[in-house]
Amino acid sequence: MKKLKESSFFILLCLCLSANFVYAQKDISGIIKDQVTGESLIGANVIIEGTGQGTSTDIDGKFSISNVPENANLIISYAGYADQIVSVANQSYFEITMSAGEILDEVVVIGYGTIKKDDATGAIQSVSAKDFNKGSISGAQELLAGKIAGVNITTNSGAPGDGAVIRIRGGSSLSASNDPLIVIDGVPIDNGGINGARNVLNFVNPSDIESFSVLKDASATAIYGSRASNGVILITTKKGSVTDKFRLGYTGNFAISNRIGEIDVFDANEFRALIGERFASDHPSQAILGSANTDWQDAIYETAFGHDHNVSLSGAIKDFLPYRASLGYTDKQGILLGDKFQRTTASLNLSPSFFSNTLQVNISSKAMFTNNTFADRGAIGSAVRFDPTQEILDSESEYGGYFTWVDATSGFPNSLAPTNPLALLNLKEDGSDVKRYITNATFDYRMPFLKALRANLNVGYDYAEGKGKTFIPANASFAFDSQNGGGTDNIYDQTKKNELLEFYLNYNKEIKSGTTLDLLAGYSWQHFFFEDSFRSSNLAGTPEQTVEGENSGELYLLSIYGRANLTLFDKLLLTGTLRRDASSRFSPDNRWGLFPAGAIAYKLVDNDKGTLNNLKVRLGYGITGQQEIGSYYVYQARYLSGFENAQYQFGDEFIQTLRPEGYDSDIKWEETTTYNLGLDFGILSNRISGSIDLYQRETKDLLNFIRVPAGTNLTNFIQTNIGNLENKGIEISLNTIPIQSKELTWEFNINMAANQNEITKLTATDDPSFLGVPTGFIAGGIGNTIQIHSVGQAASSFFVYEQVYDEEGIPVEGLFVDRNNDGVVNSSDLYHFENPAADITFGFYSNVAWKKFDLSFAGRANIGNYVYNNVASDQASYSGLFHPTLYLSNALSNIRETDFENPQYLSDHFIQEASFLRIDYISLSYQLSNVLKNIKDLRLSFTVQNPILITNYTGVDPELFSGIDNTIYPRTRSFVFGINANF
Amino acid sequence: MQISKRMKVYSKKIKLSITAIAILFICNACFNDLDTVPIDPDEVTSEVVYDNPAAYRQVLAKVYAGLALSGQQGPSGQADIAGIDEGFGQYLRALWYHQEFPTEEAVVGWADQTIKDFHEQDWDANDVFISAFYSRIFYQIPLANEFLRETTDEKLSSRNVDENLKSEIQGYRAEVRFLRALSYWHALDHFRNVPFITEANEVGAFFPEQIEAKELFDYLVSELTEIMSELPPARMNEYGRTDQGAAWMLLAKLYLNAEVYTGESKYTECVEACNKVMEGGYTLEPEYQHLFLADNHVTNEFIFPIVFDGVNTRTWGGMTFIIRAGIGGNMPALESGVESGWGGTRTTSGLVNKFPSVVGTGGGGLIVSPAEGMEYPFVYIPGSYQGWDPADNTTILSSINDDGNYEGYVYFPEDGGQFKVTPEPSWAINYGDTDEDGIMEVNGRNIQVGEKGMYRVTFNINDLSYSLTKTEWGLIGSATSGGWDNDLDMEYDAEDGSFVIITALNTGDIKFRANDEWDIDFGDTGADALLDAGGENIKIERGGVYEIRLYLDHPDYTYSIASSSSDSRAIFYTDGQNLEIEDIGQFTEGYAVTKFKNVDRFGNSGSDIGFPDTDFPLFRLADTYLMYAEAVLRGGTGGDMNTALELVNRVVTRAYQEEAAAIPMSELNLDFILDERARELFWECHRRTDLVRFGQFTNGDYVWPWKGGVPEGRAVDSKFDVYPIPTSDITANPKLRQNSGY
Repeated sequence: MKKLKESSFFILLCLCLSANFVYAQKDISGIIKDQVTGESLIGANVIIEGTGQGTSTDIDGKFSISNVPENANLIISYAGYADQIVSVANQSYFEITMSAGEILDEVVVIGYGTIKKDDATGAIQSVSAKDFNKGSISGAQELLAGKIAGVNITTNSGAPGDGAVIRIRGGSSLSASNDPLIVIDGVPIDNGGINGARNVLNFVNPSDIESFSVLKDASATAIYGSRASNGVILITTKKGSVTDKFRLGYTGNFAISNRIGEIDVFDANEFRALIGERFASDHPSQAILGSANTDWQDAIYETAFGHDHNVSLSGAIKDFLPYRASLGYTDKQGILLGDKFQRTTASLNLSPSFFSNTLQVNISSKAMFTNNTFADRGAIGSAVRFDPTQEILDSESEYGGYFTWVDATSGFPNSLAPTNPLALLNLKEDGSDVKRYITNATFDYRMPFLKALRANLNVGYDYAEGKGKTFIPANASFAFDSQNGGGTDNIYDQTKKNELLEFYLNYNKEIKSGTTLDLLAGYSWQHFFFEDSFRSSNLAGTPEQTVEGENSGELYLLSIYGRANLTLFDKLLLTGTLRRDASSRFSPDNRWGLFPAGAIAYKLVDNDKGTLNNLKVRLGYGITGQQEIGSYYVYQARYLSGFENAQYQFGDEFIQTLRPEGYDSDIKWEETTTYNLGLDFGILSNRISGSIDLYQRETKDLLNFIRVPAGTNLTNFIQTNIGNLENKGIEISLNTIPIQSKELTWEFNINMAANQNEITKLTATDDPSFLGVPTGFIAGGIGNTIQIHSVGQAASSFFVYEQVYDEEGIPVEGLFVDRNNDGVVNSSDLYHFENPAADITFGFYSNVAWKKFDLSFAGRANIGNYVYNNVASDQASYSGLFHPTLYLSNALSNIRETDFENPQYLSDHFIQEASFLRIDYISLSYQLSNVLKNIKDLRLSFTVQNPILITNYTGVDPELFSGIDNTIYPRTRSFVFGINANF
Repeated sequence: MQISKRMKVYSKKIKLSITAIAILFICNACFNDLDTVPIDPDEVTSEVVYDNPAAYRQVLAKVYAGLALSGQQGPSGQADIAGIDEGFGQYLRALWYHQEFPTEEAVVGWADQTIKDFHEQDWDANDVFISAFYSRIFYQIPLANEFLRETTDEKLSSRNVDENLKSEIQGYRAEVRFLRALSYWHALDHFRNVPFITEANEVGAFFPEQIEAKELFDYLVSELTEIMSELPPARMNEYGRTDQGAAWMLLAKLYLNAEVYTGESKYTECVEACNKVMEGGYTLEPEYQHLFLADNHVTNEFIFPIVFDGVNTRTWGGMTFIIRAGIGGNMPALESGVESGWGGTRTTSGLVNKFPSVVGTGGGGLIVSPAEGMEYPFVYIPGSYQGWDPADNTTILSSINDDGNYEGYVYFPEDGGQFKVTPEPSWAINYGDTDEDGIMEVNGRNIQVGEKGMYRVTFNINDLSYSLTKTEWGLIGSATSGGWDNDLDMEYDAEDGSFVIITALNTGDIKFRANDEWDIDFGDTGADALLDAGGENIKIERGGVYEIRLYLDHPDYTYSIASSSSDSRAIFYTDGQNLEIEDIGQFTEGYAVTKFKNVDRFGNSGSDIGFPDTDFPLFRLADTYLMYAEAVLRGGTGGDMNTALELVNRVVTRAYQEEAAAIPMSELNLDFILDERARELFWECHRRTDLVRFGQFTNGDYVWPWKGGVPEGRAVDSKFDVYPIPTSDITANPKLRQNSGY
């Protein structure tokens, strides 16, 4: 028997292997302690190997089991500790010590299975519950932030429940999705999101998550073939265990959030002075200046409260049906007035075994209901712009009683002027209800005639539904319509149904000691379906002002895959993977793709007791694919009907048009080839361990949204396979335990990643005069872009004019460097200047445990990321102060630094270095034991989220995935009080 | 292990069913699943779309809508082309950018991407707007090709299309070929040597060949000639659809510009094509402004319109752009029938100055107002003409030099009028001339004049001598039709107390003179509106019909110049707007244009105040008239100068609503035509083509504010006569060569 791990899955596996009772039986008892501190461990599992029998330790760390055969082995497991196997023999009392911090025997989840971490051949890293970010967490992605080298998570904003952009080793695509594949309990989920939902990951309650496993290189991800180019995140949720006693747990927290930072604009008095200074005393601007002192940014934000409660029940019914059920409720306000996120989650997990454990069933069900109230984020920009000398309310205003800039002649709202931000927040009702259910059942059957062979069937169903509506009363200035009565009454809904069927056979045999063969062959079928509809209308529902639409589509993915793992002499590890994938997105000629991968690893040092405990080198290669593009039918010639408001008139008749759609009948997979060289090591009793990975990823036949040769298609841009992209980088992870003593343990993990992204080909021909594909739309003007995808540059590089400065370092308005020296400054003088991606990212995590206190913090740093300060470029010029249609707009205080009369959108002056160091949280917790009857343990914690941000960036927040800063919903600082109790 | 018997019974069943489910699923899911077709009823595959006979008309409508809309959803959504803001990429709006912004007719103050490069004439081959227009043209052409591919006899027969529909579709095909030719003409006119594809080129990855301008020109001529008989006669199709009139007009456009495109002139062919258009029965709309209003579909002047509707045909481009972008400053948007303006487009003085007068909205008004003169010592001149009131100082004799020599003009409305002179407003001292010897005496008899009329009266209080000279006034000068040789007689307007003449003037000089001699003449030294005897000539800055008045009742003598009957096409909004542009970014610099409105001729707003009902006149009859005249002037045969003059004067007299505005044959020349085209057709997407044809688009002879990016205007490289092939297409298609200079 090999050493087994804590994973309940493995425990279940071994349960089924044998159950013969030949030997004498007796009762045993014992105590389990921490090796270093000597403290007894409560709730450690003690199981008789090969049976379902077992128990867990009581409050004193003691256990007892009756009728134990003498030849049996005891498996002792405890979260965060290495498993121990003790043979019973003739002992009847056991004093067993366990050591914490052992990561050597950690098991990680991989595609279609698990593997001992030190047998892994690919770049795989995992994060489990003990490393999770503390505090008021509403999205699963927040648990991962900063934890894994090369995984960058950028939250979209400070709005409650908002999503995040997750990138693993940069993006391997340009126009196709760069999101990693997310697999939850074996179900690859649709990343597309649901209408009305803030975040695709909201449906998992973070407190239900057991662990994340991140597959970074192709040798690990290739088993997911066509969807694996951007890495895979495997999420495993908590389950009951056959050895569990009934356990009732509660975690809850209460949070207060405040905004940090604001955009520095003129206050009312400064603004009056500025207008006085810029315009003559008889200028119309003077007459419309108000006498109030309104801080609009103060007015739109509030202190936000939030609370979060989770109850979980787990245990096993009659040693046969382990279960875990949980119920979670989250209620979070946003700091923007009226913003609200409420979520209820429920999960149920049943994992019974049958037929002497040869059949293991796992049924996992998750449900989520969220209710969102969206505050209009336009208020954030309006608050920056709005004239601070005006009152919020105006008793004479016909527009809901809010001060409104009106047209002098008609008295109608001035549609060019900023909207009163409080009117936006208070008059608009915008909400959604989103439901999602994911259920899957796996049946794992070990063949009685061939124990090394098991068959696994996984069926899953994912149903999601989002409904929302927007309502604006007719008297709101921003939905004003003198002709049709105005107002807004919009509804939308969307339903998604995804089905999964997977079946695989796994043959795992230790041929001889140290030599294992693990073969896997499987089939997967997945069907994605969506339908959505919307109706937008004015309040009266005037037919002419009503637009309705419906849309639906479906996609099938089919795969056949196989994997062979060969372990030789416990030293040399070989992995080969082959996946053949088909997508209904592509034509019969192109729809099948073959994705091979191979890896080799060698354990140079394996569990040595010296200074160097472990050393393993890994070399991996693989090809993965990408098919995640917006449309489902891109290869087919299709016609699309037009809406009623886009008809054309023949005589007196309006004709609904039919448009032939552009298509590329030859469209096929995008392919990414990855090379990975890795090194895993452990030194000083593994108190310092880590890994270093070097990788190179080349994507060819990019699914690129690019121009077609004019005249060749029924559109000018099409999604087709053109272009190459390269990412290369290095990742270093270091896990250290600088202090480990009886009362004090300090764990410190740090990771670093550097990634370089370069577009190596973009078009059919290599014409150097082709600048590239513009991207990155900005506020100000229409259609202005600030970024470009160009050959030889990183994707989304900034593309700007080089500003000329005077001797004092003040930018000279409208004066740019004629970089090509042709005498004129035009678009040929734009140049590539930096890009939004950081050159180097760091993540770190520290935990100090002293007696019953735990102090932990985690943070991240980005070095060399750049941001286009669109707030400054758009709102720091004098020409915007007064508009001839008679309204005033505030400006940024730094208008004094540039002294620009008109906006200079494309000046590199506004591209700013935005390196930063952010502490995501600092958390202090205290464990109270035996305080109350029935409470096994109680932990109180206090967390400050987002306490520290160090940056030279002059805008509100330097952390912007897009690199364009345009009045972000500010990230908040939260103070969170948490309780964690087990009954 | 404690598994019950019951469980074991289940076990087999479960095992079996798991296996069964697995096998079932796998087979069921067999590979047929992958052959999906769209399930959204709005989206159907090409194979089945034409199962519905109505589809042909719907696809035809899409080809037309390609000129008016930006996508399948109004005003935006499901865009036809990408890579550009959807509104910017709309066909008409893109065409407008290319035809109007680089000329004196329009500037825009926005900061959108490279939009200012148009007016500065310094664009390059990477320009996003140029690329968008090019993409639009080369969207429209494959769209037409697709329709033609799907409506071949073979295909129609295979779908069992009935004979009636089949013959209707034959007509559709001709219309689609016209629309394709229209877009190819735009390609030729703006880009010259372009990729060439027809219905023979299936959709797919290939590199189209580049066609030379000459070859494309010949193709278009033969294509239009070929479809002519298949198109309905002029004005016989449904409104909005094309016919022979439109096809002849497009041919006329090609021929008129043939020399630019191919180096070989085709003016005779142009005259012939214009004749064909004019045979179509179109008539000029009586009132110019009515052509540009929400109900302009009722006109009989349009040859080919692009049709818009506030409810059913919505776009951020097209007419929405043309009207709303032109409203800003303190302009009342609702008067143009839209809820608000976008504060973008205005015009330059280069266009405004082509009109005689543009004071106030809608043109017309005073150019020179009568000036208040100085106060001088004077004597009263009571008489029969004013009721013998010595206190009436309306008409007096003044001594400008205060030397006792008095002078004045007195109008006697009847023959034999009488007067006396009094130094005070009473009869206490009065002078008459008892013995009619030319010397007055105190209490002398009334002085009598001869015929009624305006008399110059002088009086010397020192020796009491006086003189009477009857004066007939006239207008003379280079600006008048009489030149410096013959003056034009002015009439006395008793009510106003002034001499007046209404006449057409050219740019030039005028003076006033009496009695057809140079003994008494007035000019205006210092242009202060005060007349000076023998003073400097008065300048007339631009041609037009004027009302000129001469005020002689009171020194200093003064005059007024007004455009009496104004050019009704000068539809500018000037309140709060400066004529001259210092900062293009400011909407208030440059006059605004309110030619196009979303109100009908009765003043009612269109069906929606966000999106106009107003249709765009891509081709209209007045243009044909001016083209005819130009082709004749350029030597085209098959027409004659008299007809040319008559046609041009139809346009001119409509503009003035005044027959007197008609120009004489002597003024009908190419320069006049170019200016008249600006006056008649501004903001209608003709200007760049016209200026290029006249060789004045890039040169330094004719400049306008901010041409070449400088306030006073300057010449630019002649390469800008043609737009560059966008680099993006050169990169995508290795068979293309760039236009020279880029």
